[in-house]
Amino acid sequence: MRVKVYVDKLRKEEELEVDSLGEVFSYFGLQKDSFIVVRNSELITLDTSLEEGDSLKLLSVISGG
Amino acid sequence: MVCRQCKENPVIKLTNSNISLCKRCFTRYFERKVFKVIRDFELVKDVDKIGVAVSGGKDSLTVLKLLKDFSDERRGFEIVAIAIDEGIEGYRDVSLEKAREVCDSLKIELKVYSYEEEFGYPLDVILKKLDVKPCSVCGVFRRYLLNKAAKDLKVDRLATGHNLDDESQTILMNQFRDNPELSARLGPLTGIKDHDGFIKRIKPLYLVTEKEVMTYAFLKELVSGFNECPNAREGYRDDVRDLLNKMEEKYPGSKHALVRSFLQILPMFKNEFKDKSINVCGCGEPSSKEECRACYYKRRLNES
Repeated sequence: MRVKVYVDKLRKEEELEVDSLGEVFSYFGLQKDSFIVVRNSELITLDTSLEEGDSLKLLSVISGG
Repeated sequence: MVCRQCKENPVIKLTNSNISLCKRCFTRYFERKVFKVIRDFELVKDVDKIGVAVSGGKDSLTVLKLLKDFSDERRGFEIVAIAIDEGIEGYRDVSLEKAREVCDSLKIELKVYSYEEEFGYPLDVILKKLDVKPCSVCGVFRRYLLNKAAKDLKVDRLATGHNLDDESQTILMNQFRDNPELSARLGPLTGIKDHDGFIKRIKPLYLVTEKEVMTYAFLKELVSGFNECPNAREGYRDDVRDLLNKMEEKYPGSKHALVRSFLQILPMFKNEFKDKSINVCGCGEPSSKEECRACYYKRRLNES
């Protein structure tokens, strides 16, 4: 399915064809423990099923220095 | 997957216990866990006034909110927020705005101490004058100024936003670098022994992960946008963080295990170094050498 993903730490937004959040993390080469995931303003866990057209934000949990 | 307790949609899966929790259950879990650390390690015992070091980031604002809640609900102590303005344009000025907003909403006084006022220059200028790693001089000046501010404001303890990830990284870094004396200073209540010149620090977020803090801060609207220090180059810590995150992903609960086992041996570390004398620098700050590191950098700045 096609989803839109914004990664705050990379300041990057991309549209991806993926089946799971795990694939999103793999695509960007990110560690799962370092981000929370927001879908439509709601936090979701990494095992949540994605839906066509989802708009996701990956927010870094690591303080910026 | 639904919340284990109430069957609502979960907001987090706790790696330590493999339990998923919804917004309401997670908030309750998180607050109870932080309050338990405050109680179990006697972080606010016999304390009248606490300074909270705030940067405007999620960790420090979470500590500020929860200490205020703890004080309001259980035992009243005065709280003052202390911010250090290093003078990093486009970074600290942005995060201080969030700190001001949260302090206003919690009705807590915010005191800002700046490098420019204390050392004569903002960090951006200091880095041009001294040929040193940004985090070295900045860390030394920030610790110095926080301690000085804490003494100026007559606080009994200084709370920081260090969480379980920070502590697990530091424990491992000290082990890799064969530095047990630095490890002896760690723990939820820092320091090896009492010293008039040093305000003891407390870490109420000691047993919650960085991801848990971020989740809580997001739910409580304590997070502003991603804001990274332009000077941040913590190569060694970044490597250790990556290593621990990989271990946590493969073997969930590793970070908790590391910190909990460290807590078991921490009294031995502290006992080992308890008789080591602490010098006092001419400026009045405690130091392992005759001249403290802050005065060393100040001297180099004056000579430059």
